[in-house]
Amino acid sequence: MSLLLKVNNLKKYFKTPKGMLHAVDDVSFSLEEGQTLGIVGESGCGKSTLGRLILRLIENTEGEIIYNNREITKLNKKELKLLRKQMQMIFQDPYSSINPRMRVKDIIGEPMIIYKTFKNKIDYTNKIKKLMDIVGLASRIADSYPHELDGGRRQRIGVARALALNPRFIICDEPVSALDVSIQAQILNLLQDLQAEMDLTYIFITHNLSVVKHISDNICVMYLGKIVEMSNSKELFLQQFHPYTKALLSAIPRPTIHKKADRIILKGELTSPINPIQACRFAPRCLYAKKLCFNEVPKMVEVIPGHFSACHYVKEINKMSSI
Amino acid sequence: MLSIQDSKIKRGGLVLNKNILEIKDLVIQYKTRKGIVKAVNNINLSIEKGETTGIVGETGAGKTTTALGILRLISDPPGKIINGEIIFDGKNLLELSASEMRKIRGDRISMIFQDPMTALNPIMTVGEQIAEVIRLHGKLTVHESMLKAHEMLELVGISKDRYYEYPHQFSGGMKQRVVIAIALACHPSLIIADEPTTALDVTIQAQVLEMMAKLKNDLNTSMILITHDLGIVAEICEKVVIMYAGEIIEAGTVEDIFDRSKHPYTKGLFDSLPDLDEDKVRLRPIPGAMPDPTNLPNGCNFAPRCPFKMPRCEVKEIPTIHFSDTHFIKCLLFANKD
Repeated sequence: MSLLLKVNNLKKYFKTPKGMLHAVDDVSFSLEEGQTLGIVGESGCGKSTLGRLILRLIENTEGEIIYNNREITKLNKKELKLLRKQMQMIFQDPYSSINPRMRVKDIIGEPMIIYKTFKNKIDYTNKIKKLMDIVGLASRIADSYPHELDGGRRQRIGVARALALNPRFIICDEPVSALDVSIQAQILNLLQDLQAEMDLTYIFITHNLSVVKHISDNICVMYLGKIVEMSNSKELFLQQFHPYTKALLSAIPRPTIHKKADRIILKGELTSPINPIQACRFAPRCLYAKKLCFNEVPKMVEVIPGHFSACHYVKEINKMSSI
Repeated sequence: MLSIQDSKIKRGGLVLNKNILEIKDLVIQYKTRKGIVKAVNNINLSIEKGETTGIVGETGAGKTTTALGILRLISDPPGKIINGEIIFDGKNLLELSASEMRKIRGDRISMIFQDPMTALNPIMTVGEQIAEVIRLHGKLTVHESMLKAHEMLELVGISKDRYYEYPHQFSGGMKQRVVIAIALACHPSLIIADEPTTALDVTIQAQVLEMMAKLKNDLNTSMILITHDLGIVAEICEKVVIMYAGEIIEAGTVEDIFDRSKHPYTKGLFDSLPDLDEDKVRLRPIPGAMPDPTNLPNGCNFAPRCPFKMPRCEVKEIPTIHFSDTHFIKCLLFANKD
């Protein structure tokens, strides 16, 4: 497998009246072709900003994004347009991400018109029909408007539109959060099938840990603009090294009455991402925080092969003799 | 906390029935241009004193309409309670006058809303909003209600020094704590919590749920918890009601529902969930979507999506079948063939 995406020391700071807001702060990871990288975190951790940075919907402050062996943060408008054919996005809210005044067929066909990827009118209609078929939309709704459809069908339109240009890489930003569980499962299965059939690479952004476990090969856990833990998905759910990941996992209510979770209740809430001090961002809420945590930014270390964590006391907390 | 004990004793004389709330044959409909939306269809439900009942269902199942119906907050038009009785503490709420009903809301029955960002008044200090409820129900004087509001703030884990702050100065989790303080301020017998933690992050949700469970126990209040999250139900409910297209299709204790669920829809809900402990290669979703509430199918509402559908499911009136005192379902699979 080849490397499709590599992000190096990516930063995005927003200027606000109160100071610099560090939305994404020194984030690095890589992603192989055909794989799914899950990005989990709570609201305000910078996961959506990260997704938008990679697609260059917003400009980065510092750092590199290497897509397919090419640095893309300096590309001009024309080069970017060609690149975006390969990179698509599926949005969270299927109620606001599709134009309410366009018919289903026009929404799905619009990317093809912009990039002129069809031979003639018949080819265009056939392609739309095929896309609707792939995502499981009945062809009779081609002339409907979005308000006539339920959330699940609307999200299928979003998926069909993302597929219209035969992309290689799709960023899914909370694609199932607005949907009911029975519909959520339908869309998750659809995304998995499409990945297998079309060899797609996904970045899957979500706050739902059970969803991210189900769909991802690798997972990054973010907290206040930083990646705090990164690992293979199975491995991460077997053992967590960072105190935040431990707390996050223990906080999920499990749909069973036989296992009572040993819950770690975190104190307080997210601290402000505006002008953060050079220290561990999680320290104010951490059960194990010591003096060093408030004075120095912890580095990402490989605790065991393939499993990274950014915590000063990772060894002590996890009772390991050596790293 | 002393005063909480007092009010319980004062009301002690009314304790006759073990059920605080009984809903009988409730029907609620909305009139729209597209036709009549059958939001709640003939539901029967009783809530025992001190117990937490979870109402679970997907968007449009009628959970919130049922809750608003209990408080008589359905806006008319377009909504109307067509039929049924809602017996609260021996009185039928549907027969009360508007002013009698106002005395019950916020005092005997209170509600915690989903979105703490919109449930609070943005131009009133949080302390004042808590004191207002106490004052309006004529419990205490202005000064006393302020002291009581201080006490309530501390009870939900907010320093009383923040009495004079406005909602925008609070984070989402803190706002929801204020909403809970308002709901508890008059020591209601019944709390209706409509998706109280859906808008919150998981670590904050864990804090709020822990606090709610503790307060409910300390104050011995009954609670109806509306949610779509089976994990939350497993954690804090004793009874569960599963709603689908305006009907209760299965109900029972948490053990009945989590260990011995019978209805194909309930089972489908569990199968749709990705599992944290087990590796599911593929989820087994329920095919299709909920029927249009203006045009419900004949017979069983779930039949069009049901993998065990039989011809008679689409024509027959679906009976309620009891497995035990607590566990019942609406499904022909378990009915005698006649």
